[in-house]
Amino acid sequence: MKGKKTLYIAFIVIGLCFTAAALILWEAVPNSLGGALMGSGSGMAAIGLTQLLMLRLATKDPAQARRKEIEVNDERNVAIRRRAKALSGDVLQWVVIAASWVSLGFDAPLWVTLAAIVTFVSKSVLEVYLVARYQREM
Amino acid sequence: MKNKLEELRKARGLRQEELAEALEVSRQTIGSLENGRYNPSILLAFKLSRYFGVPIEEIFIYEEEPS
Repeated sequence: MKGKKTLYIAFIVIGLCFTAAALILWEAVPNSLGGALMGSGSGMAAIGLTQLLMLRLATKDPAQARRKEIEVNDERNVAIRRRAKALSGDVLQWVVIAASWVSLGFDAPLWVTLAAIVTFVSKSVLEVYLVARYQREM
Repeated sequence: MKNKLEELRKARGLRQEELAEALEVSRQTIGSLENGRYNPSILLAFKLSRYFGVPIEEIFIYEEEPS
């Protein structure tokens, strides 16, 4: 519990540092770097703050926290989440390949088509690797 | 797969919430098990078996599908 609290506080501090750096260095750094610092900083701070508040609520009401933990680890809920993730991944893969065809039709820059194809191939390769790994493990 | 979970639970005067709490699963899981929408893992099947003090085969009825 204490380790988690420290981690979330670190998230908030690092996030705020990134955000402050983005604001201070706004003129000195390229817009892309400033934007990245601002985005990642505010994101980290928000995640840290949310998790810290959740931790505080769990400390105040352990019974509610226990129910929440059971809900998260419940085997049916885990199976549902895994199935949903797998199906949405499959759908997204085909959407990406469709997007590459559409980009060809609209005469989009070559990198758009290539990025879509690389994403499709990477997902397929990762899937084959994971199947082989799980075949060994199970 | 059919099962006698609801029958066993009601025979002991338990609510779904109480059984779920005892087995550390959600109430929805108990509901889904009872109406046959969800088949449990072998671990949960053993937990149920130990909780009710009956063999797994007495809770879950496996019927081979006609080929």
